[in-house]
Amino acid sequence: MQFRRKTLIACVVLLGYVEASAQTTPATPAREFVTNYCVTCHNDRLKTGNLTLESADANQVFNAAQTWEKVIVKLRSRSMPPPGIRRPDNAAYDTAAAWLETELDRAAAAHPNPGRPADLHRLNRTEYANAVRDLIGVEVEAPSMLPPDEQAHGFDTNADALLIAPALLDRYLNAAAKIARLAIGDPTIRPGFERYTTVKGNANEQTALWQTDRLGEDFSLGSRGGIAARHYFPVDGEYIFRVRLQRTFQDVIRGLNEPSQIEIRVDGVRVGQFTLGGGAELAAQAAADYREVKAGDMTNADDALQVRVPLKAGLRTVVATLLKSNDVQPEGLGPARIPIWSREGDVPTASAAISSLLIGGPYNAQVPQDSPSRRLVFVCRPASSVEENACATKILSTLARRAYRRASTEEDVRVLLGFYKTARAGGNFDAGIRAALERVLVSPDFLFRIETEPANIPPGTVYRLSDVELASRLSFFLWSSIPDDQLLDLAIRGRLRDASVLDQQVRRMLADPRARTSLVENFFEQWLQIRNVWLLTPDANQHFPWFDDNLRIAFVREMKLFFDAQLKEDRSIVDLLTAKDTFLNEQLARHYGIAGVYGTHFRRVTLADENRWGLLGKAAVLSVTSYTTRTSPTIRGKWLLENILAAPVPPPPPNVPALEASNTGTKPLSVREMLEMHRQNPVCASCHARMDPLGFSLENFDAIGQWRTTDAGARIDASGVLLDGTRVEGPAALRRALVAQKEQFVRAVTGKLATYALGREIEYFDAPAIRGIVRAAAADNYRWSSAILAIVKSAPFQMRRSSS
Amino acid sequence: MIVTKKAISRRTVLRGIGTAVALPLLDAMVPALTAAAQTPAKAVRRLGVVYHPNGIIYDKWLPRGAGAGFEFSPVLSPLEPFRDKLVVVTGLYSDQAEALGDGGGDHSRASGTYLTGVHVKRSDTIVENGISMDQIAAKAFERETQLSSLQLTVDDASLVGACDVGYSCAYSSTISWLTPTLPLMAENNPRVVFERLFGSSDSTDARVRASRLQQDRSILDSVTDRVKELQRRLGPGDNRKVNDYLASLRDVERRIQKAEEQSSKEAPEVERPAGIPDGFEPHVALLYDLQLLAFQSDLTRVTTFMYGREQNGRPYPQIGIPEPHHPLTHHQNDPVKMEKCARIQTYHVKLFAGYLEKLRSTPDGDGSLLDHVILLYGGGISHSDRHTHGPLPTLVLGGGAGTIKGGRHLVYPDHTPLTNLQLTLLRSLGVPTEKFGDSTGQLKELSGLSSA
Repeated sequence: MQFRRKTLIACVVLLGYVEASAQTTPATPAREFVTNYCVTCHNDRLKTGNLTLESADANQVFNAAQTWEKVIVKLRSRSMPPPGIRRPDNAAYDTAAAWLETELDRAAAAHPNPGRPADLHRLNRTEYANAVRDLIGVEVEAPSMLPPDEQAHGFDTNADALLIAPALLDRYLNAAAKIARLAIGDPTIRPGFERYTTVKGNANEQTALWQTDRLGEDFSLGSRGGIAARHYFPVDGEYIFRVRLQRTFQDVIRGLNEPSQIEIRVDGVRVGQFTLGGGAELAAQAAADYREVKAGDMTNADDALQVRVPLKAGLRTVVATLLKSNDVQPEGLGPARIPIWSREGDVPTASAAISSLLIGGPYNAQVPQDSPSRRLVFVCRPASSVEENACATKILSTLARRAYRRASTEEDVRVLLGFYKTARAGGNFDAGIRAALERVLVSPDFLFRIETEPANIPPGTVYRLSDVELASRLSFFLWSSIPDDQLLDLAIRGRLRDASVLDQQVRRMLADPRARTSLVENFFEQWLQIRNVWLLTPDANQHFPWFDDNLRIAFVREMKLFFDAQLKEDRSIVDLLTAKDTFLNEQLARHYGIAGVYGTHFRRVTLADENRWGLLGKAAVLSVTSYTTRTSPTIRGKWLLENILAAPVPPPPPNVPALEASNTGTKPLSVREMLEMHRQNPVCASCHARMDPLGFSLENFDAIGQWRTTDAGARIDASGVLLDGTRVEGPAALRRALVAQKEQFVRAVTGKLATYALGREIEYFDAPAIRGIVRAAAADNYRWSSAILAIVKSAPFQMRRSSS
Repeated sequence: MIVTKKAISRRTVLRGIGTAVALPLLDAMVPALTAAAQTPAKAVRRLGVVYHPNGIIYDKWLPRGAGAGFEFSPVLSPLEPFRDKLVVVTGLYSDQAEALGDGGGDHSRASGTYLTGVHVKRSDTIVENGISMDQIAAKAFERETQLSSLQLTVDDASLVGACDVGYSCAYSSTISWLTPTLPLMAENNPRVVFERLFGSSDSTDARVRASRLQQDRSILDSVTDRVKELQRRLGPGDNRKVNDYLASLRDVERRIQKAEEQSSKEAPEVERPAGIPDGFEPHVALLYDLQLLAFQSDLTRVTTFMYGREQNGRPYPQIGIPEPHHPLTHHQNDPVKMEKCARIQTYHVKLFAGYLEKLRSTPDGDGSLLDHVILLYGGGISHSDRHTHGPLPTLVLGGGAGTIKGGRHLVYPDHTPLTNLQLTLLRSLGVPTEKFGDSTGQLKELSGLSSA
């Protein structure tokens, strides 16, 4: 008995020892997770996808932050392990991810890495035009002055993509001379002509704009078609307006067989009215064989559409339209719209339409003593020649301060005064200021955002941006422009580092309508590639003969108004997916299959059909993710992964052959059937098994966003699968499933907004900051203002790493 | 040839604003802003490159027969009147445009490498190519002319993100590269081109123009000082941007200096175009006219012109083709589509022939501009559907001041590098070059001299 007790005690002690030694190295949740689910493939030997998790430091995860951040992305989006392999349940995913995030966030809080945007960040052309507008009150058409900018990571605010080249400098010089002349007013300005066409931003010649109805709010009621141009009239004087009508491809003016009335208005006041066409003679010529037309009325009749008007300087809206002859024609779709490129549509008897508006002048120019831009520039006026130098100094130092976004130095002013004096000697006070202004507009301090580290700072150190640098980041983020006087003032006085002051300024800036205009046009339209709507070429032969520029404009306008409302009402970011209301006009409403909306103007509409709610039901989004003849579930799936689920797909591997349309059978295949064949190839399937199933759930929306129930004769099968295996059927179900993972969506949007704001790629070391922003926004139901404020307060926005 | 100013009626003023189909730029008289010493022996040579995207239908392009006396193909038929100034070169390949392990991206590589002969770096953001041959020529001539070169295109360059996956849009938007990392963007607005050539001062008064140039030069001097100051102030990291900036400043300064030297000469009596004309044809015609004007006034001796970026989807309804170009070129051997592609190519050639006609009828020195220019007309893709990079459709036009013997179809063995031709052209332009891109030698037959 004694022997057995001793053995028993010995066994217990032995067991206890074994247990204790096992407990001295406990596995972290990360180690446990990857051991169970990842290292079968991602080990040191196989290195699947060029990643091994076997030897990654799972204890001090900060040592392998880049690897673990990748893991977090996959865990949160449920995109790994791939379908078919044993997967954990949602709780296990979230526990492991949360542990990793906590560890990495804590390490990042102790050693933040705010990244290093470029020291020289050129203004893109939108920012240049806005800066000029805010600095001296001259509104210029950026595309006519400067070449387009490259994009990187989806945005033209990326510092690396904004290059400098000799041709660009040439343009800056030209632009500076022109703008200075416009701002100050130049009595010797020679008359020139500017040409405006019907569709702005349309580089696409395949579609045409139908001029059967009122085109927008700028146009008067009872008008149809035409052009609304915002034109800067540099000085008081006489200006010529000339209207040119559309012609057939044989250069014959269309629509002369019937009388048309054309009118020209400036700021709503009619300055010219013409009647053209009609009469037996012209009707006969128009009906004749167009191949035999000789030069004469049929080719020159619109020479008469010209008027010369005295006007005062300033920015004005000039509208040239036709007057509707009858209101019986219903608006929108209808057999009357024959595609413009078709031979049947290209005849002289097609209805008259306006092609371009020319504005020329000034003639008999006189520099006005007062104008908005002169008021901005001339902060003082010398009463006599004795006061000139002092006044010039005051004007130029104010100009330098505002243009360079910092306190002006003696050197700044000295340089500018040099230009002023030289020009003053050969001219008058105005000429002197004009010369100095030219120098300002070409200055690197104006054209670039310059961030310099403090002197003698050790390499690789994290430092706080100066208030002045922060003010610039803030104003270019929220306004795509220079800081205004209030913000600049606070920054120069060093008050911006006060958290409550910063908070108040951000809210003030967001309340300014400029914030909405610039965020909608520059952030949202680039993020969701809305600008690509202008480049769409939906197949007009068979599939979409009714797609025209009016619809194109409507797509873009809906998005503008939609985003504007979201920001104005400070909605939750998640509302982008769930919003029940949108903005429609009659043509777009019909496009969506909604009855009861009449007229060309846009108005808020509550959507009864829940399939249309939010971004997923927007024609602009659905069409830029399609091909010309059909939808592409792959592109839509990729769009969803990148923009909604924060699970971007890697680029295709090298040597992927182009997909041939491999339908050799006689029966036309539906899109789903075609893609099925491609997923039979395992090489392709590894990514397409993730992308395609998501895109299938949107198959009810065709390539231009219309609802459909059949494709290639078969009923649409809109069943899709999310990454975690959730099955959905149709857009409404998809939306609900996406909203259930709304943190992912907010994470994706925040990442994009941060990319835009910082002007550099968001990298793995930014992930803790992004998480912090999402948490801060979550406390306020993910409102836009909270997200934006959190971005402004984050380390990457307020700090910088010195060069290493 | 001294030109006096003549009165221009108001109707002509309005007509000249690009509102009529063909701008009468050449109706106006252009004064002799030509190089100082032009003798028959030292005729000024120019280089023009015209690029057409999206590949071709090779069978319709290829002429029948080799050597002299070849038969024009349907696509090249508009060039018949210029047989004696035309050399068709076949067998050339742009092997550096092949994938070579980088996967898809044939369009970007085709245009990116067309004038460089370098395998371009696959990247969305940081571009890396070589120096293009037109810039090598431009560097040699830049002391003589105000603008070292001019890059033109018909396309509106605002394309958002969606170029070849993995490749920056810069590769397909231009074929001109000043340095391996600096693409020279092409311009499509005739008004802007005009202002680059003649300045924005709007005045033909020599004193006003001189004062404008002086102002510009002072501005540039002052800006250069500031940039150098910034260079010292900024960390050692960001030198590439600052270097580009300083290089650009130098380039513009040189242009202004040259312009000042020539500012005493009279400016041409041409009206500034108002903008982009309605329609493809007048737009192309105006851009060709501007190139002609630039050569004639010796404002530059190097131009490149693209009918569109690679992958562009322009439809051609004016010749009965409403479908966008790029998808059409993926014809999968459908004869209807192939016929349409060939029709577009013929159209491009026809418009080019219009330019040649004007070059031929513009006197220059002891001959015409066409005698003294070297034009390279071609594209970086051969079979449009399969995106092959050879045999490339390549034409050489012009007399090259006696260095090119026209009227022949030269057939080279397959995979002869396109850069061999470009190397030869550089030498014909008087730019001594031993190697260019992936070149392996010269095409000595081009000059028609037995020993070259």
